[in-house]
Amino acid sequence: MTETNKDPNLLEDALRDALHRKDAPEGFTASVLARIAQQYSTTREVKRTSWLSIVSAPLVRWAAFATVSICLVIGGVHYRNVQREREGEAAKQQLMLALRIAGNKLQLAKEKVNEINTSRPERHPQKRSPRSRS
Amino acid sequence: MSTINRKLPMILLLAFPTILRAQDLKLPPGVERLAAKAKETVEVNMDGPMLRWAAKFLSTEDPEEKKAAKLVANLKGIYVRSFEFSEEGAYSAPEVDVLRAQFHSPEWSRVVGVRSERQGDNVDIFFKLENEKMAGIVIISAEAKELTFVNIVGPLEVDQLADLGGEFGIPKLKTKPQSSKSVAKADKGEQK
Repeated sequence: MTETNKDPNLLEDALRDALHRKDAPEGFTASVLARIAQQYSTTREVKRTSWLSIVSAPLVRWAAFATVSICLVIGGVHYRNVQREREGEAAKQQLMLALRIAGNKLQLAKEKVNEINTSRPERHPQKRSPRSRS
Repeated sequence: MSTINRKLPMILLLAFPTILRAQDLKLPPGVERLAAKAKETVEVNMDGPMLRWAAKFLSTEDPEEKKAAKLVANLKGIYVRSFEFSEEGAYSAPEVDVLRAQFHSPEWSRVVGVRSERQGDNVDIFFKLENEKMAGIVIISAEAKELTFVNIVGPLEVDQLADLGGEFGIPKLKTKPQSSKSVAKADKGEQK
């Protein structure tokens, strides 16, 4: 048994001494803040290192390369199809224009021929000579 | 310059047979010269592969495009030059005669020739026949302010083509009363 256990007053004094308010030593706050800052930067560095390590992994690198390549190929094919579609549409318009002009001029000729036919005096059968009938 | 202009039709006339043999009847180079004077020019050059490719884009649901697809199915080429001028007299009659002259050959038949002195609308239609089948058509339309040259190579239904002229937003021509001064000639089946 210690002396404090034997004497309750001694225990009380010891407690009072232990719990006595003491001012923090000079520079304590600065040292705490410095330690916190150091801990924070270390954590970030660790995190950054782990992220870079994922990206720098060969498998991920190849996957990224493959994804970009596939996207480029798909984009290229799509662009080519769109271009092809546009060119085809333009060719179709040209074709339709050509047919329209040709058809229109045919109609013009047809119309002119009809005009001539309608303007010509019809030959009446009764006016024909008997010789022409035979 | 004027001497060249005067001699040009003759030069073109002499050059045509060579040009025609080489290109299986396409457009004579003299026609291109008119583009400089024209207010509007339409130029369509479509050979067989181009026609077939363009035909792929024709809709099967649209009736006009359906007709067009049927029409061009066996064609080997369509060549069109159409010049619209702001004033009359932009081209001379000899220049058009040069165009017509190239079809004065046994393989071509002039089926329609219209001359209208009053309105100035002259239309010539030539058919090319091979083994008694239509192998091509040429239309030369010389109007007061417009000159059009159409050459369609390959078998085609003329009636179907004429039908298409009244579609695509352009109304079919209506019959006008005949003017007494019009002098026209329709010589169907005439062999030149």
